[in-house]
Amino acid sequence: MTGSGGTALKNDPAADARPGPAPPPALDIRDLRKQYGELEAIRSVSLAVADGEFVSLLGPSGCGKSTLLMIAAGLSRASGGSVTIGGTAVTGPRRDTGVVFQAPVLLPWRSVLDNVLLPIEFQGLPRATYEPRARDLLRMARIDAFADALPHQLSGGMKQRAAICRALVHEPKLLLMDEPFSALDAITRDEMGVELLRLWQAFRKTVVFVTHSIREAAFLSDRVLVMGRRPATIVEEVAIDLPRPRQIAMTEDEAFNRHVRRLRRAIEENHG
Amino acid sequence: MAEPSRNASTVAWPIAVTAGLLAGWEVIVRALGVRPIILPAPSEIVRVMIARHDVLLDNLWPSLTLTVLGFLLSVAGGIAVALLITYSRAFRLGFYPIIVVSQVVPKVSIAPLFIVWFGTGLVSNLMLAILVAFFPMTINAVMGFTSTDGDIHKMARAFMGSPAQIFWKIRLPNALPHIFAGMKISITLAIIGVIVSEFVASQEGIGYLIKLSSGLLDTPLMMAAITVLSLAGLALYGLIALAERRAVYWQPPADVGAGGG
Repeated sequence: MTGSGGTALKNDPAADARPGPAPPPALDIRDLRKQYGELEAIRSVSLAVADGEFVSLLGPSGCGKSTLLMIAAGLSRASGGSVTIGGTAVTGPRRDTGVVFQAPVLLPWRSVLDNVLLPIEFQGLPRATYEPRARDLLRMARIDAFADALPHQLSGGMKQRAAICRALVHEPKLLLMDEPFSALDAITRDEMGVELLRLWQAFRKTVVFVTHSIREAAFLSDRVLVMGRRPATIVEEVAIDLPRPRQIAMTEDEAFNRHVRRLRRAIEENHG
Repeated sequence: MAEPSRNASTVAWPIAVTAGLLAGWEVIVRALGVRPIILPAPSEIVRVMIARHDVLLDNLWPSLTLTVLGFLLSVAGGIAVALLITYSRAFRLGFYPIIVVSQVVPKVSIAPLFIVWFGTGLVSNLMLAILVAFFPMTINAVMGFTSTDGDIHKMARAFMGSPAQIFWKIRLPNALPHIFAGMKISITLAIIGVIVSEFVASQEGIGYLIKLSSGLLDTPLMMAAITVLSLAGLALYGLIALAERRAVYWQPPADVGAGGG
């Protein structure tokens, strides 16, 4: 199973695209293992994500993909292997990553704008400098009208947009997203995907997106890594060569559905 | 909008029912000719409240002062101990079970012991007020400081909040609804503590006045004293509820009240 992880490494598009010494990958995971007592959650996962790339980790619930993301976010410790971001080892939460969780986890007593500025306060950055940026983000996420509202006045989708703005406000290089749309209804979910791509198109952050939705992974990503059942390994890697910017209408196309079928087959072979 | 009319009826109904009960009381006492020593009519109680307001007020102040002082000390002490329990594992393991179990001890039964220890003075009364008001405050504050869900802490760590920042920006505001719930319980218990201690040993205060008028068979004065005490208690509770509404602006008050009582 280590071999399939190695494939992901070799296919690093940054290494292919640029001549000369390649810059360190935005995220480089090698031989990662995670053990909870007797339970082996992750067994030897290796992957590399190039600068500006949008990569999804696809797998069913409980396959260890969220654990992997939390280790990359510095919120959980690996039992073995190495994780580096931009060439430096991950030892804990860091300034150059932004995280979006499954739940929006906004603070109910803070306005939307103040929630978005929370990382700025925590990191001791000047509010005056970042407030215009926070407002720009809210405008791009189309919730600027709610900047002064309290979270309970927002719909689920709007709350998650605010959470995405919060993850981007301190200008991280790497955005880690842990099933951010899984609590939303299907229609909102599609909209959020389009919105996220619009933001991504504008900021060109590296995104690692964990999901259990095949269509979502195929629609959003440059590359989808399919994770097998626990202990987690990467069993398949699919490059999604659909043109960008992507539109919801593209999900009707045969090219899109061919990717979806391939991903589904990879999952069924390993979980069926 | 339907809101204002519903709010109006939630206020109007209790007032109407209370007025009806008082009117019924008045009518029955007059119609049956019940003697004031057994049960004075509401009008008689009001008359006594006005006629003897000097006695009532003279005795209200000491009780009120002790209550507020005991309450404030309980809140400060309760929050301090709650912080120790939240942040010190040894303290939590050692003391929290004792605090929870101590809840089943009927604490006013300790009043005579306090007289042995502290004499029949204000100290004794204050100590009893604190004894009954302190523990519910502590337990509610602990619930408040520890109830932050795991996701919020994960988020705070991901965005590099320091422990101090997490306390001031997350734990404390998150604890406020519980702290106010504890304060509401504590203020009513502080009143009980003061009154009971004044029953047991005191030369002034509403508790003393109630006991004295009982001994003199002056039921109208006793009822007037109880009424004054109730109004004072209601006012103190109202002040806290008002402060709560301002401080916990992000939550409708109904939800907050459900937390403690």
